[in-house]
Amino acid sequence: MELDAVLDGVAAVFLVIGGLMSLAAGIGLVRFPDLHSRMHAATKPQVLGLLMLLLAAAITWRSWASVAVTLLAWGLMLLTAPVSAHVVGRAGYRTKHMRADLLTADELAATVDRVSRDPGSRREVDR
Amino acid sequence: MLETAVWITQVLLAAGALCAVYRVYKGPSVLDRVISVDVILVIVASVMLVEMVRSDHQDFIVFVLVTSVIGFLGAVAIARYVVARKPEDAERAAEREAQAAGMGVPEPEAPKNGADAPVMTALPQQEDESTSWFTALAKSGFVPKRGKDSESGSSGQGPGGSGGGSAEGPSERPKGER
Repeated sequence: MELDAVLDGVAAVFLVIGGLMSLAAGIGLVRFPDLHSRMHAATKPQVLGLLMLLLAAAITWRSWASVAVTLLAWGLMLLTAPVSAHVVGRAGYRTKHMRADLLTADELAATVDRVSRDPGSRREVDR
Repeated sequence: MLETAVWITQVLLAAGALCAVYRVYKGPSVLDRVISVDVILVIVASVMLVEMVRSDHQDFIVFVLVTSVIGFLGAVAIARYVVARKPEDAERAAEREAQAAGMGVPEPEAPKNGADAPVMTALPQQEDESTSWFTALAKSGFVPKRGKDSESGSSGQGPGGSGGGSAEGPSERPKGER
């Protein structure tokens, strides 16, 4: 009985933290100025928020088999979220969907300039 | 205690989803909408998890698994087909707003170009911002690179055209990745 109350309390705290992560993502999406800073906010609920909610669910269910499924779901999200964020950020950089005046350092600019002058490069790079 | 935590979490998730929906409505580019829709998808998975916690069953865990894969595929597929933003797009948008503000201004090219020209000039003004990248891609004269059948590329629209489309990926990829 004592342990059940403690586990329920831990699950409740994890639930609220997961909800706060998605709220932070929403506020960041509204408030941040350009694509790449919005992407920074948008990956919060995908990794930490989903982990918190899955842990809360696994604690509530109290079975080790559900922990395995939970870890599978989280691992899948952990593998796919960086790849999709990388692809979106790369497309955003190369199609100039960003605000260059907000950057403090742009280490990709020289490489992209050289690639875009090459006649065999991709069409979406603006020549 | 768990019941109140579930309610608080649902409210927080709803607020986050509303912010993401606002960004989908407002977002200036397609990529902003893509990441916002990704966030909405994760929030939907979170709502399913919270519901499973509340009523203590495990029926939706497969949907949580599927949701992560769907978000990945959607983001990658859309980001592949974004076209470059040009500076004259902003000028055109500004002059479109000026035309919408002064309703009585006539279009200069409408009497000059004949019957079917006003249809072509009026189309991008009614175009929604979220789909204008597709018309920009269609009007840019983009032709995918062909591997071997480049001499029959423009005329052969039948089996040669479809074969060239499938052969375009591996020949283009190493040059783009440099």
